Amino acid sequence: MQRRWHFFRMVQKEFDPVRAWQDFVQKWEIEINEWSGKLTESEQFSAIMGQATKLNLVAQKAWADQMESMLQALNLPSKVQIESLAERLDRIEDNIERMRLAMEQSGEPEAAGAQPEPRRTRKPPRKAG
Amino acid sequence: MSDTPAIPPIEDISDRVRKEIRRAYQRNIKGLDFLIADREHVGAMEKDIVYREGTAVLYRYKPVEQEIYRIPLLIVTPPSNKGYIFDLASGQSFVEFMLQRGYDVFILDWNAPRRDEASLDLADYVDRFIAQSVARIGEITGEGDVTLAGYCMGGTLAVIHAALHAPGPVANLIAFATPVDFTFMHLFQAWAKKDHFDVDELVDELGIIPPELMLGAFDLARPANRTAGQMNLWANMWSEDYVKSYRMFDRWAAETLPVPGEYFRSQIKLLMWQNALYKGELDVDGRRVDLAKITVPILNIVAQHDHVVSHEATQPLMNQTGSSDRHEIISKGGHVSLVAGPAALRRLWPLIDDWLAERST
Repeated sequence: MQRRWHFFRMVQKEFDPVRAWQDFVQKWEIEINEWSGKLTESEQFSAIMGQATKLNLVAQKAWADQMESMLQALNLPSKVQIESLAERLDRIEDNIERMRLAMEQSGEPEAAGAQPEPRRTRKPPRKAG
Repeated sequence: MSDTPAIPPIEDISDRVRKEIRRAYQRNIKGLDFLIADREHVGAMEKDIVYREGTAVLYRYKPVEQEIYRIPLLIVTPPSNKGYIFDLASGQSFVEFMLQRGYDVFILDWNAPRRDEASLDLADYVDRFIAQSVARIGEITGEGDVTLAGYCMGGTLAVIHAALHAPGPVANLIAFATPVDFTFMHLFQAWAKKDHFDVDELVDELGIIPPELMLGAFDLARPANRTAGQMNLWANMWSEDYVKSYRMFDRWAAETLPVPGEYFRSQIKLLMWQNALYKGELDVDGRRVDLAKITVPILNIVAQHDHVVSHEATQPLMNQTGSSDRHEIISKGGHVSLVAGPAALRRLWPLIDDWLAERST
């Protein structure tokens, strides 16, 4: 009887639908990835990828040029203008940070509440045995 | 014994049905939350910017122990990824773990490069950003030594720096999934094969290389990962922890950074095509990078199922460097699981602490 109950538990474990789903997804993922791995080894794959990257670049550039002139016609800021604005802000942030660091390094008092430096004397714990 | 599937007791079936219905409800409610939620907050530990120069940002994490090891730890993150992968959230943060074990932790992280930084090259990374970070750490801590760690291409930059500046302030070298022999970077070799990949045209045309280019290569290597991830997310939507973790990793992957064109050109031509670092033919600013000059202790950490950086790609660290103190850890899991997640916290990071503690005094 005990043996039979054990058998029930085993079967029950095998029927777990969540686990079965996860196993299925995992197997599917491995198979697709393996297939893709083999595909990437071929010379044709490299040739197609090189071509696709180039085409993508050309398409992106054409689209960007088109968009740029469209936004200009609508009197709206273009991506390039927004980027240049973001870069100017970034440079300002950069300079503020540099000024703060320069002030700290030249001995300006640290912000209130600054913690003292910890002691650099720590030793590794002794290994048992 | 019969092979006929036995029927579980009726109580167990009803329990399971109840549980599944509850989970289905939670999935729908949390699924809606997921769709309308803001991006997941990342970062567990307090930090300050201590050096910044354009794309480069050096953070110092606030020590949490009163007594820390003498030698500080500097982690170099790959220029194409944000450094917060080392500090995603409490309980799965390498930074938190190391701070609690008594280390003084610095991270060299990257902002998206500006257009005027398109000309940044390998030399800028290894001789300028890493070198200045090391110098700044010296000023802050008063220590002349530093443990230099790097992840993926951040590791490669750390290795090049350590070789060029040896003997120097680098007292220990920790390499997380760090490629050195690029003939074993199979995916990227196939993606950027010399005969078909016009890197000059790409760099000259774009200046800054957009992240979509890199992400496309990763998706090709593992085309099922994204879909499988979403399927698993749906199955686990009832679990708060799973969803939170998924969203953090998803945010990190989505925030892949663009990289400067010249740096990208060097990476493809010198490292991928010529395999110059492995062959001892890499020159940075007129100086030869010789792996044999690295004589400090090395810890090489590799993931068993890493589809990006294979074990073979890291092996020159174990057999071409001049160090007599070289150790290797092969950890279960994939490329990212070395530096983030609860599994690394349990299995891998304590081993790193054991190795580094006795070399940090």
